Amino acid sequence: MLARFLGKEYQRKKALATAAPGPLADYLATPFPDRQSDCRELEIVAIDLETTGLDPRKDDILSIGLVHIDRFAVKLSTAWHSIVRIDRDIPGDSAIIHHITDDRSAAGAPIDALLPELLRRLAGLPMLVHYSPIEQNFISASCQRLYGAPFVAPIIDTLEIGQRILERRNHLIQPGDLRLFNLRPRYNLPQYKAHNALTDALATAELFLAMADNLYPERPCPLGQFLSNR
Amino acid sequence: MEVELVEIRQFLEQRNPFSYLDDQLLDELPQDIEIRYLRRSGSFPPADGFLYVVRSGAIKVYDKSGELCEKLGEGDLYSVTCQLVNFDDCNRGEAVEDSLLYMLSCDRLKALCRSSKTFSEHFSASVKERLKTAVTPVQGSHDPTVAAMMVEVASLVRRQPITIDSGMTIRETAAMMSNKDVSSVMVMQGEQLVGLVTDRDLRRRCVAIGLSGAEPIDQIMTPDPVVIEGNTLTAQALMTMTRKRFHHLPVTRDGKLIGMITATDLANHQSANSAYLAVDVRKAKTVADLIEVSRRLPSLHLRLANASATARHIGEAVSCLTDSITARLLQMAEASLGPPPVPYAWLAGGSQARREQSSHSDQDNALLLSDDFQPEHDEYFAALAKFVSDGLDACGFVYCPGDAMATNKQWRQPLRVWQGYFSGWIERPDPMSMMLSSIFFDLRPVTGSVELFTPLQTMILKKSEENRIFLAHMMANAMQHRPPLGFFRQFVLERGGEHDETLDLKHRGIVPITDIARLLALSLGKAQVNTVDRLRACAGTLALSTDMAENLEDALEFIASLRIQHQANQIRRGVKADNYVPPDQLSELEREHLKHAFKVIQLMQETMTKRFGADNLG
Repeated sequence: MLARFLGKEYQRKKALATAAPGPLADYLATPFPDRQSDCRELEIVAIDLETTGLDPRKDDILSIGLVHIDRFAVKLSTAWHSIVRIDRDIPGDSAIIHHITDDRSAAGAPIDALLPELLRRLAGLPMLVHYSPIEQNFISASCQRLYGAPFVAPIIDTLEIGQRILERRNHLIQPGDLRLFNLRPRYNLPQYKAHNALTDALATAELFLAMADNLYPERPCPLGQFLSNR
Repeated sequence: MEVELVEIRQFLEQRNPFSYLDDQLLDELPQDIEIRYLRRSGSFPPADGFLYVVRSGAIKVYDKSGELCEKLGEGDLYSVTCQLVNFDDCNRGEAVEDSLLYMLSCDRLKALCRSSKTFSEHFSASVKERLKTAVTPVQGSHDPTVAAMMVEVASLVRRQPITIDSGMTIRETAAMMSNKDVSSVMVMQGEQLVGLVTDRDLRRRCVAIGLSGAEPIDQIMTPDPVVIEGNTLTAQALMTMTRKRFHHLPVTRDGKLIGMITATDLANHQSANSAYLAVDVRKAKTVADLIEVSRRLPSLHLRLANASATARHIGEAVSCLTDSITARLLQMAEASLGPPPVPYAWLAGGSQARREQSSHSDQDNALLLSDDFQPEHDEYFAALAKFVSDGLDACGFVYCPGDAMATNKQWRQPLRVWQGYFSGWIERPDPMSMMLSSIFFDLRPVTGSVELFTPLQTMILKKSEENRIFLAHMMANAMQHRPPLGFFRQFVLERGGEHDETLDLKHRGIVPITDIARLLALSLGKAQVNTVDRLRACAGTLALSTDMAENLEDALEFIASLRIQHQANQIRRGVKADNYVPPDQLSELEREHLKHAFKVIQLMQETMTKRFGADNLG
């Protein structure tokens, strides 16, 4: 696992070499946090994207929600939510899930304008997500297109952590068990009714605090133990 | 606010005191929140300098000695680390379930306190101020039919509006007011109400400062007076008057002036019902007539409750009627049995003596006979007692289960025997005398030769004041009724952490205060019997600070008014009135205020145990 993460630092430097000067290069120039650092002392960014589908080559980001955790407290003052303006009609089925209609999307900002803020927020910090391929791949695809280099980030994935915990307990994992809103009740976390990128980012942040506190009730809580291999 | 934080706003806005904040402050609130997670057995609070709101889970909080102070559930607040209230030292605890906590920094909390008075009162150190905010929601908060049954102020307007033109002089106005025999007039400019003049204005703004009577009236009027719509409920009108310290309110209907109501009108309205009943009691010719009048007692209770009379007022109204019924029954008995062979005083005990009866109280009474009493006289008094006691029972004041009634020969005795009883109870207290204490140490002559009571009372007060052992027994007895800690979810939270399904408002809230007041009064030789009178009489002594006396009075009024509303609801539904309230029938605010009231009682019980308890005798 150490090798893989050293791989991430390697990937970061490699991407930095190819990135055009600008927001991505600035982002990549910031070193990742030490694997030995204590999560309780760290700042972590929980993020969620809503998209029109699963394929970054065909689908678009519809909205971005994120919130920072600082020393194990979710700071709502850092909450950020943005609707992305896209150039095509939103497929009807995804609108039903996200409640983002063409009109709401039209009132948003293009992803090109939002990406710099997103990268600025994430610089030097672990990115916390529930099921990381979506966020990783969609952000990376946009970075490739705009800045000519991939997006590289140290990732904490609550779905992966959840899977590890359930497997360790010899729990036979059923379809749906690992979904964000099915994992939360295991930690006595409330059900949020609304579904949007910010609520889901917040729900992920709370889930991570619960998981980390239960796995490492006493200090320290090493970052390396939570980092995804992806 | 990020609109997507609406979920957090919604959670907070439903909860006191956040519900008092205006929309803009509520919109801004979520961004000031931090969220922390506490696993089961994690220690609480995780950091100082925050107000905590439990979003999910449960927290137990202890004081320095390790006693459980409270148990917080979803939606409960913990503000101790902000030190707004130096109420107790409940400063450490642990999560007993996995918990999610919303946190607001003390600085932000203090800023919110500055922006809303009602909000800040929630965190006030003074229980009096906290309980003050409780008065509004208690009134008619439970049942929509309450509102319909409440009386509109228009029905209290007794005469056409008395108005004058704004061009008139002060002297002309004064002449007109005395001519019409009114204490206030409305000042008009055409159809428009422009001011109000009262006797008080004439005194203070004219006579007292030597203003000439020839000056125009608008010099001394109160301009642009607050008016009230005719369909406003009397309860609300009363609140407006009390809050703004007005004694007069012009009443309008559809914008047109229809008259004026005064604070006196409202007070009269509240007691009118009981006054009518008292007249009917005096007119009653037979026991059947009295039974008929008594049938209206529950509806009197209901109407007084609807008219938002205070618990104290209702207790007085009902006790006053019981007194009248008792006196009328005694007259009927004497009419049939003939005049008494020796003088007697009919004594009321318990809640009637304290003037704190509710419409379903038991009867507690006794006969105090002149020392000229001879054994052969007892036949007469036995018959007298039976007639009255049966009559009271038929009127709904059921027989005392402990047989503390004049029909019991033990409680139908000449003065010297009673003096012997009390000497024994006070000098050699035992469980029996303690059991009787709540009845016979609250004693009041209702009718008859009431002067017989004076030497007995003098003796009781003198002996009890001097007798520390007796007071220690009274203290131990008083500690048998202790308030619960508070609430947790839909349960009553007991000391030690157990949960109860219902709250006994009488024995867990009212009786403890009654016991406290009785013990204080006896220890200080105060003759008052009513609990509030006793508290006021003892206030400002070493045993009871003025602040504590006020807090106890407010706590009593709050708990008693909850009981009245609870019983009024039961009467309305046609069920037998009782004292048991399931916590889920209490509003969040009521629970909060009850918790503070319990705290006051607990503090006083602790203080008194130190002062009067057996440990202090040596």
